[in-house]
Amino acid sequence: MAQLLNADVVKQIEEAFAPMKEAVQLLYFGKKDNCDYCKDTQQLLEELAPISDKVSLDIYDLEADADVAAKFNVDKAPGIVIAAKDGETVSDFGIRYAGIPSGHEFTSLIQDILRVSGRDSGLSQSMRDFLKDLDEPVLMQVFVTPT
Amino acid sequence: MVQAEMVEAMEFQALSSKYNVSGVPQTTINDGAANVVGAVPESNMLAELKRITGK
Repeated sequence: MAQLLNADVVKQIEEAFAPMKEAVQLLYFGKKDNCDYCKDTQQLLEELAPISDKVSLDIYDLEADADVAAKFNVDKAPGIVIAAKDGETVSDFGIRYAGIPSGHEFTSLIQDILRVSGRDSGLSQSMRDFLKDLDEPVLMQVFVTPT
Repeated sequence: MVQAEMVEAMEFQALSSKYNVSGVPQTTINDGAANVVGAVPESNMLAELKRITGK
């Protein structure tokens, strides 16, 4: 299959990734049947991850690796988890993508990787105060269409 | 405690229909406890979260 990221885009990503501080672990979850965008999403991540030595990628199958999927609360394919990596320790920050991150969402993906690398949410103090006392699970789903 | 999921609306249409997604972005919190269409400034998001959790 042809490259999804052309040389210009790779160069831009290299520049964006240059100030990365800490390592980031991407987890990809695909499935064999009934997944129109799994192949493209996997390829996209396989082209993206090698651009920085601070980005690692693990490939999983939603069904064959059901235990890993359950651990990271992934129930859709293609699914992506953007986690922090410190040595061998992977820390889940609760950030996931369901569906192919193309168009604007590709930019969001790059920004999320940088944010996780910085280990700082960038949230306001009032939001941090609220989250500190939060004692029930919150699931936020942002519906988008690739443009 | 908090999970954030970007959902491609066309690819997961059953979910989009469930939450009546008609414009994007739409932010749906806790299975439809809140649905906000359009960009959500952090202060609005905080207000929604406080309303839902009663804090």
